[in-house]
Amino acid sequence: SIQHVYGAQHPPFDPLLHGTLIKPGSKPPTTPVKLKKVSTFQEFESNTSDAWDLGDDDDELLAIAAENLNTEVVMETAHKVIQNHSKLQEQHKFQEEHLQEEKQVESAELTSVDNRLVKSVSEGHTSSSSDNASESSSMQRSQSLPQTSTPPLVSGMGDCNTSVTPALTEREASRLDKFKQLLAGPNTDLEELRKLSWSGIPKRVRPSAWKLLSGYLPANVDRRESTLQRKRKEYFAFVEQYYDSRNDENHQDTYRQIHIDIPRMSPEVLRLQPKVTEIFERILFIWAIRHPASGYVQGINDLVTPFFVVFVCEYIEEEEVENFDVSSLPEEVLQNIEADSYWCMSKLLDGIQDNYTFAQPGIQKKVKMLEELVSRIDEQVHRHLDQHEVKYLQFAFRWMNNLLMREVPLQCTIRLWDTYQ
Amino acid sequence: MGSAEEDYNFVFKVVLIGESGVGKTNLLSRFTRNEFNHDSRTTIGVEFSTRTILVGDAVVKAQIWDTAGLERYRAITSAYYRGAVGALVVFDITKHQTYDVVDRWLKELYDHAEASIVVMLVGNKTDLAQAREVPMEEAKMFADNNGLLFVETSALDSTNVEQAFETILKEIFHKVQKQKQRSSQGNTVSLASESPESTTLAQTEKRPCCVAL
Repeated sequence: SIQHVYGAQHPPFDPLLHGTLIKPGSKPPTTPVKLKKVSTFQEFESNTSDAWDLGDDDDELLAIAAENLNTEVVMETAHKVIQNHSKLQEQHKFQEEHLQEEKQVESAELTSVDNRLVKSVSEGHTSSSSDNASESSSMQRSQSLPQTSTPPLVSGMGDCNTSVTPALTEREASRLDKFKQLLAGPNTDLEELRKLSWSGIPKRVRPSAWKLLSGYLPANVDRRESTLQRKRKEYFAFVEQYYDSRNDENHQDTYRQIHIDIPRMSPEVLRLQPKVTEIFERILFIWAIRHPASGYVQGINDLVTPFFVVFVCEYIEEEEVENFDVSSLPEEVLQNIEADSYWCMSKLLDGIQDNYTFAQPGIQKKVKMLEELVSRIDEQVHRHLDQHEVKYLQFAFRWMNNLLMREVPLQCTIRLWDTYQ
Repeated sequence: MGSAEEDYNFVFKVVLIGESGVGKTNLLSRFTRNEFNHDSRTTIGVEFSTRTILVGDAVVKAQIWDTAGLERYRAITSAYYRGAVGALVVFDITKHQTYDVVDRWLKELYDHAEASIVVMLVGNKTDLAQAREVPMEEAKMFADNNGLLFVETSALDSTNVEQAFETILKEIFHKVQKQKQRSSQGNTVSLASESPESTTLAQTEKRPCCVAL
């Protein structure tokens, strides 16, 4: 289940101070699950503060967070965007004949704005995660950007790379050991593992940790291999049973939608080679058929990516990481990755299915929670949005619907998911 | 936003609707940024862009809301129709299925928007003429019979994109002008007979006229 960390750094909701938000007679807004269990903010804060432990392999993420929170940087970036926008407005007068030029200018500028963020990510890496790769992957992120460069094969797979950094710090090494001990069994204490994962899972053990935490693998180490075999077989039995029906009348709409959506995902780290596309199509189609209450909804496709990328990392050597071609993996390995991704994605979706059922109540509820949260921690922003009649649903719908996959770099999503499992 | 951006006489809210994959997002990016992206990401919920153009001697800011075509989002996207004075109902001329459901989109639109909304039927992807499944005459006749404007476009090669948006903005503008002559409301103009209080898009002294439904 998802552990909420909303408001970890902010005072708890006080109905007296926020009378405007609650209509008389209505129930106070629901508070995040975690908050319910604690009575004071201090307790809550101490419960969650370890999520921000320093010194782990989170350094790079914290660097991003710090950069993001630095007001000067924020203002500077905002200023650049505005400048860039005005410049573009002027340029538009030239239209056709300057189109190419304009695109280059725009992408160059936007990349440089973006680069700060991406660079701080790669600082955590020793050397191999080249700036080129970071640059092009950063360009893939914003959909409004013209896609002028060819995405690297698996550039972001540099994510697996840090684990082989020659000099693990002492602390990193000891954390890795702790994980390894826990994972080695004979019965992994899942609560302990969850607690440990809260401040990030080392890349090397992430695939196993995710599989355990999601409930896909049993805590008992002796049963794991047989479970994997059984589940993988079960998945491919589904494929056998259902996949041919994708062109049947009652399923063709589902398949058509998945089929047109996957090329439009442009995930930042994966080149969607036919092999990858096929795997994603099968995973999504089988899931949709087996979950008719929601079926396939755009956004679910993005949820396959983190699992797929993490599980690919389980099978590749460090020197392959940079220019890795997924389709070069042996067929059997690809099948394992596919089945594991399917089951873990299913487990994740089990907990958030009302995000994707009719009228998407789960999303609406979460957007409401966000609104409540912002009104509490930053009333000025809340009032500003309100004055300009900006509805939270207008900008936050996608955040919730795609679990931030469209908003933050994949590495950050993966790190966040360490705490979701 | 540059200051020039702020000087406009009207803000028109226009929604882009139609089946998933017909090219709504690319029509919008072609019009507002002169860009086309072969694998632009699926629109989740709603996104919007603006562009300011001259209609007659009035400066019109088009605020165009690009909605997700996926059925499941309807419950949420329909809320975005509120306050729209124009709508482009887009289909793909190479996929008959996207044309077949235009009726449903119109119903959806009229259920949630003002009856006086200006609607244009847009057959997109004329660059794929060899794969055409919807004859132009058929779509044109449908549009005529239903009181819709009609145009065929290609967001890829830019054909008629500019014209489509200009036509609908002009039509809205003329409707507004007529309304203005008849109405004694002064600066606030509404296409609808009853004007809800809160949908006015922008209200400052700097902006001479705002349009709301």
